[in-house]
Amino acid sequence: MTPEAQQMIEQIVRLIRKPNLELDENTPLVSSGLIDSMALVDLLQKLEDLTHTRIPPGKVQPKDLDTVALMFATAQRVGKPRK
Amino acid sequence: MNQFRNLIEALDTAPPDRPFVTAWIDEDERETVTFAEFRRRARFQASVLRNNNVTAGDLVVLIMPQGIPSMTVFAGAMMLGAVPAFLAYPNFKVEPSKYRSGLAGVTANLNAKLVVIDEGFPNELLSYVSLDDQTTVLHASDGKVAAEEIEIPTLEHLPGALAFIQHSAGTTGLQKGVALTHGAVLRQLEHLAQALKIDPHTDRIYNWLPLYHDMGLIACFMLPMVCHLTVVMQSPLDWVMHPETMLQIISEYRCTLAWMPNFAFQFVPRRTPRSRWAQYDLSSVRALINCSEPVRASSVHEFQSAFASIGLKADAMQSSYAMAENVFAVTQSDISQPLGPACIWADAQQFRTKHLIVPVVEGATGSLSFKSSGQLLPDNEVRIVSDSGELLEDAHVGEILIKSDSLFEGYYNRPDLTANALIDGWFHTGDLGFYFENELFVVGRKKDLLIVGGENLYPQDIEEIVASHAAIHDGRVVALGVYNPDLGTDDIVVVAEVEQTGLLTSPAEIERELRNLVVAGLGVAVRTIFLKPPKWIVKSTAGKASRSATREKMLHEHPELNLESEESQFT
Repeated sequence: MTPEAQQMIEQIVRLIRKPNLELDENTPLVSSGLIDSMALVDLLQKLEDLTHTRIPPGKVQPKDLDTVALMFATAQRVGKPRK
Repeated sequence: MNQFRNLIEALDTAPPDRPFVTAWIDEDERETVTFAEFRRRARFQASVLRNNNVTAGDLVVLIMPQGIPSMTVFAGAMMLGAVPAFLAYPNFKVEPSKYRSGLAGVTANLNAKLVVIDEGFPNELLSYVSLDDQTTVLHASDGKVAAEEIEIPTLEHLPGALAFIQHSAGTTGLQKGVALTHGAVLRQLEHLAQALKIDPHTDRIYNWLPLYHDMGLIACFMLPMVCHLTVVMQSPLDWVMHPETMLQIISEYRCTLAWMPNFAFQFVPRRTPRSRWAQYDLSSVRALINCSEPVRASSVHEFQSAFASIGLKADAMQSSYAMAENVFAVTQSDISQPLGPACIWADAQQFRTKHLIVPVVEGATGSLSFKSSGQLLPDNEVRIVSDSGELLEDAHVGEILIKSDSLFEGYYNRPDLTANALIDGWFHTGDLGFYFENELFVVGRKKDLLIVGGENLYPQDIEEIVASHAAIHDGRVVALGVYNPDLGTDDIVVVAEVEQTGLLTSPAEIERELRNLVVAGLGVAVRTIFLKPPKWIVKSTAGKASRSATREKMLHEHPELNLESEESQFT
């Protein structure tokens, strides 16, 4: 796992306030009800910071952010390098 | 605008070389079309619709991302005399299940001839679009490809013909379609342009509002189309992700007019790092209009004082009372007033027990302040009525009824809803307010009101007091009325998020302080306070605490409250 993915997992654990929860890169987040879609605004902003990209939010659907692995794949697919 | 028979005539007479829409995506990506180019693309879209058998009177539903393509399809449909309606496009922050049920409900009611989507529309959602044998789905193109000019016959529609359908606020299946005629829209725009002293040579609109909402559709698409202004717009999603871009766009394009709901007046300064404020310049803005939620003096003050140092003028802070059912605005504050809309201070006790406004000096103990939504537009009338329907005089608080020359004729395909809302030509808004010295003040939604021992309490007042405590996260407080059958009145329940989880280890002290604050400020006791960790309260669009969704969550986690539905208590 990359350090960025690890940081994202830590952010999610903070967000959902369940410190003992085991999360990995492939844990379903939205579809399992662990996080609600409103929290995705914060996670998308975090993803932009971690990947140094600007992610056009119109090109992202909830399923693109369902796991940490998918989040980074989405950033790679639609993210633009940040100035 | 009275010279036009319909909205397309107004578009046709716009100066060809003037920029109409700039779609701002980010620093590197933006596109501007002139009126001539917009018309060319709209004619192309009209020809595509025509090839799909769309004719005058047909309903065309648009589910496309906000941008120039969706606007040209909308105008193209009107060129054929068809009736377009924008629906919200799915996005990552809308709960998929909620979106699906909303989509199914709205499209079933509209019974469209054609549903236009873009190539990015998720296939799995298509099954939720109500499609019968008569409805087809079309994937729209951006309209840039048309090589030759396409001829579309001049629209001969008279003012009484249906122009489009806009939906009343909300994104769920409860949305109501409001059918509007060309004449109603043109009359509204005439009044609005006059009140705002619109000058097509110098005015430029900034917009992040969705076009499926009246504030976006009327003020930021129809107004510039008919008055021949330029609008610079971004998508609501881009704005919510990066609210700072609003400052960037206004500065770069020297925009003069914008509309926003009340919460945005806090959201933008709070989400923009203070260190970057000085990069921007808001001196071009002549009216920033607070609209579609009750106007809070504190929110307006927060925005104005944050950005005064970068040129934002105090007299640019304006307000309006608007709704889809009236096309848009009912009132607009007088933009020539150097001090902005009137603010009055009134005795809180008289307000709550007698529903009466008794003016007191500014900031007096036990007083409340109200910000005006402005004066009635020409040919708009307001009545304030009591619960029993009795007409109230000035300074009395009651339900706002309106009548105007731009009022809708009914909800589309919903005679049942129309019959409840439109009675003897008066639209019952469900909003509470009062009329004072020729200005309308809106104080809240009738169904949000808490009635405690015969006193009317507005949840916003309780929430503002609770949020002022240092341990409580600002803007993350919801006050609810819970009917107490033993007492026959509402108990006040407050849910508040603490700044950090650590504060929850000793909640008793904070709770005691909060109770004291509410008693001192409003003279009422809170029955139960729930302190919750950060992020507990359910947020709605752009991070605002959602009262109804938080209520549902409370009911789920605290069944002992036995919350009854708000509607059953008050309507």
